[in-house]
Amino acid sequence: MQMFLQSLVSGVLTGTLYAMIAVGLTIVFGVMRIINMAHGEMVMLGMFGAYWSYSLLHLDPFLSLLLWMPAMFLFGMVVYRFLLRKIIPGGELNSLLYTAGLSLLIANLALFLWTGDYRNINLPYGMLPARPFGISVSIPLAIAFGLALAITSLLSLFLSRTDTGRAIRATAQNPEAAALMGIEVGRIDMITFGLGTALAGASGVLLAPSLYLYPTVGEILIVKCFVIVVLGGLGSIPGAIAGGVLLGIVESLGSVYVSVAYKDGIGFVLFLLVLLFRPKGLFGVGRA
Amino acid sequence: MPRFTLPALLAAALIAAPLLSTHSFVHHLLIMVLFSTLLGLSWNLLGGFAGQVSFGHSAFLGLGAYSTLLLYLKLGLSPWFGLLAGGAVAMAVAVPIGLICFRLRGPYFSLATLAVAEIIRLVALNWDDLTAGPQGLIITHLPATSILGQTVNWESKLPFYYLIAVLALLGMGLTHLVARSRLGAYLLAVREDLESAEAVGIDTVRTRVLALALSALLVGLAGGFYGLYFRYIDPDAVFSVALSVEMVFIAVVGGIATTAGPIVGAIVLVGISETFRTQFQSGHLIFYGLFMMLVIRYLPDGIWGRVRLALKQARER
Amino acid sequence: MALLEVTDLGKNFGGLRAVSGLSFSLEADEILGLIGPNGAGKTTAFNLMAGFIPPSSGEVRLAGRNITGLKPHAIVKLGVARTFQVVKPFRKLSVLENVTLAAFLHCRRRDEAMAEARRILALLDLTDKAEGAASDLTLAQQKRLEIARCLATRPKILFLDEPMGGLNATEVEAACDLVLRLRRDGIAVILVEHHMQAIMRISDRVLVLHHGVPIADGRPEAVVRNPEVIRAYLGEGKT
Repeated sequence: MQMFLQSLVSGVLTGTLYAMIAVGLTIVFGVMRIINMAHGEMVMLGMFGAYWSYSLLHLDPFLSLLLWMPAMFLFGMVVYRFLLRKIIPGGELNSLLYTAGLSLLIANLALFLWTGDYRNINLPYGMLPARPFGISVSIPLAIAFGLALAITSLLSLFLSRTDTGRAIRATAQNPEAAALMGIEVGRIDMITFGLGTALAGASGVLLAPSLYLYPTVGEILIVKCFVIVVLGGLGSIPGAIAGGVLLGIVESLGSVYVSVAYKDGIGFVLFLLVLLFRPKGLFGVGRA
Repeated sequence: MPRFTLPALLAAALIAAPLLSTHSFVHHLLIMVLFSTLLGLSWNLLGGFAGQVSFGHSAFLGLGAYSTLLLYLKLGLSPWFGLLAGGAVAMAVAVPIGLICFRLRGPYFSLATLAVAEIIRLVALNWDDLTAGPQGLIITHLPATSILGQTVNWESKLPFYYLIAVLALLGMGLTHLVARSRLGAYLLAVREDLESAEAVGIDTVRTRVLALALSALLVGLAGGFYGLYFRYIDPDAVFSVALSVEMVFIAVVGGIATTAGPIVGAIVLVGISETFRTQFQSGHLIFYGLFMMLVIRYLPDGIWGRVRLALKQARER
Repeated sequence: MALLEVTDLGKNFGGLRAVSGLSFSLEADEILGLIGPNGAGKTTAFNLMAGFIPPSSGEVRLAGRNITGLKPHAIVKLGVARTFQVVKPFRKLSVLENVTLAAFLHCRRRDEAMAEARRILALLDLTDKAEGAASDLTLAQQKRLEIARCLATRPKILFLDEPMGGLNATEVEAACDLVLRLRRDGIAVILVEHHMQAIMRISDRVLVLHHGVPIADGRPEAVVRNPEVIRAYLGEGKT
């Protein structure tokens, strides 16, 4: 029972961070109908950002969020404006292949610049034991969890309460109608891509103290992300959150009760089952 | 131009090419170009003609490679039959995978192929008794074979060159046939619009499964060749996402839905890889990514697709 | 025996009943107009009969053979072809290739299929467009191209989903003539159409759907005088 609770808690903590990455992917898909294959690299960039500002400037990774999140937002807008904008009208397969190319470019540029060494951030408070109710919780992971919740809630508030947020949701529902209502769809696309990238970057920053970081880490993360958005239904934010937490729990329980070797496999099998039997996601809210 | 001129010229060029140099590195490069051509051709059958983008094609390469090597190492089956068996196994596994994944459309299909390939890789990595897990399989000795009364010794690169040349020609021949057949027309219809394709009486699932099976057959053969040529395989090498992406690259850069495009794509790929691999580790991948982006942006029909269009326009003028 | 027999066909999407209790039959030489206010379930009915959506209940029989739940391509092979409300030609392919693809259903060889396609294009006045891309055609031409594609599958029945939508008066006239000519060639036609004059002119019978339920079935003159039909249309603010 103790072990079950333990793996449940760590599953929920990691899952929430997965969820945040997936929310970024899903809002981009919702608005632009493209699956950004380079989304994992955006997370990787966030991780390395946190790493460098910690090791060079001694900036606490969680504090560096204030630096990296806006930076990644800008980066995303630049990528959209100068790279993606001309590609999207060419159809979804073109954008899929194009972002796959972008993913290869970013990951290997990082590999070239920073080598393939595994790095980690050893926070002074990272090793402190925290055992509420006898369950051991990593402090950096717990902080990351709290911040992820906060950021995701702020995003929902932004989408529901501000004019830009409402315009984003309108565009996601029906781009033609949104354009007729006077919404500049191109601008909304750019902001959305910036937001998606910022979320990915922020999750990277939050994950940096808890994971080993290396330039091709995005490859694994993007695959997890696909699993999540398919579980939750592509294009749905609540779906992505639920899917992320679910995947975190399944992986965590699976590695305890099934086998560590097949931990990633469990997610994939789940993924295929959902794709086949509930292509709109477990909650039936996505777009098949 | 008579109908057989072009294939004859191509065959002559393929026979003559390795005789121009005795340098084994040159032979290696030629082998890699033809091997990559075969990969590109096979991906193109499914991704180019039928518009079904697979990110998991290395699954079939790995299946071919493992089948060939396991049949030789465990059962002592001649590797040359094993090569054919590798193609057959890949094709046989492709059918159920297709029946499952083709219930999905567009990007969903692409994601599913990625998942299937990862599942297969994990199985290969963990099924120690069969695959020796992460250690991989190694061949120390390949028996000499007798072909047309000649003893062929597999210690030099030349016989491998001719073997892959035959396989690549087979791939081109198959692509050429498909492009001119009813199946080829049906694949284009499937790529353009699934519903319309159904509405004109095309069984879109069967058509796509057929394309996948043919594509897997070619990749499986290539996989068998890979195993024999490099004499060593492990799950991370043959089931890697990087290999799948290379296949996409070759087809997209060369020209989607063309017969000659993959040759062009393969030359570009091997050129980039050999130029930069020696300069800095994995630097070639940076250029793969960059090249793919540039081609999609400026030459959406690929290099050969653009050349073909220019030739056609010149002829009409 | 009727050529097409539909019995109690129904479809629920979640809790929404898109079509229910749809029953009618179609004779081999008949033109049936399927009308109703927007959202009445006309296109859904087509999708159910042509196999694009599996029905929740009911049965569709073609010349006595149960075709309910078959895949669209199988139904096409048995002689039921359809067009789409929003035209769906294979845009990047040429007009000739579009029709050749469909002709492959009965001609295995490419040259036979192309000859058949050219014959049909001539019939529909598209010969001079044959080599151009399908996406370059006008809307009226694209609608004719879809019909050409259907004809190449040698149908016994054609489902036409708004063949006149978005056409000008001359084009509507031509489309009406075309439908009448198809019938003379032995093809039964069911058409969904909002263009009432056209429906009244060419239909032998009219079936009215309202909220997914058939409310009238009969000769056009009789149906338009049916009080329930008038209410259905006026209730939606339409005439």
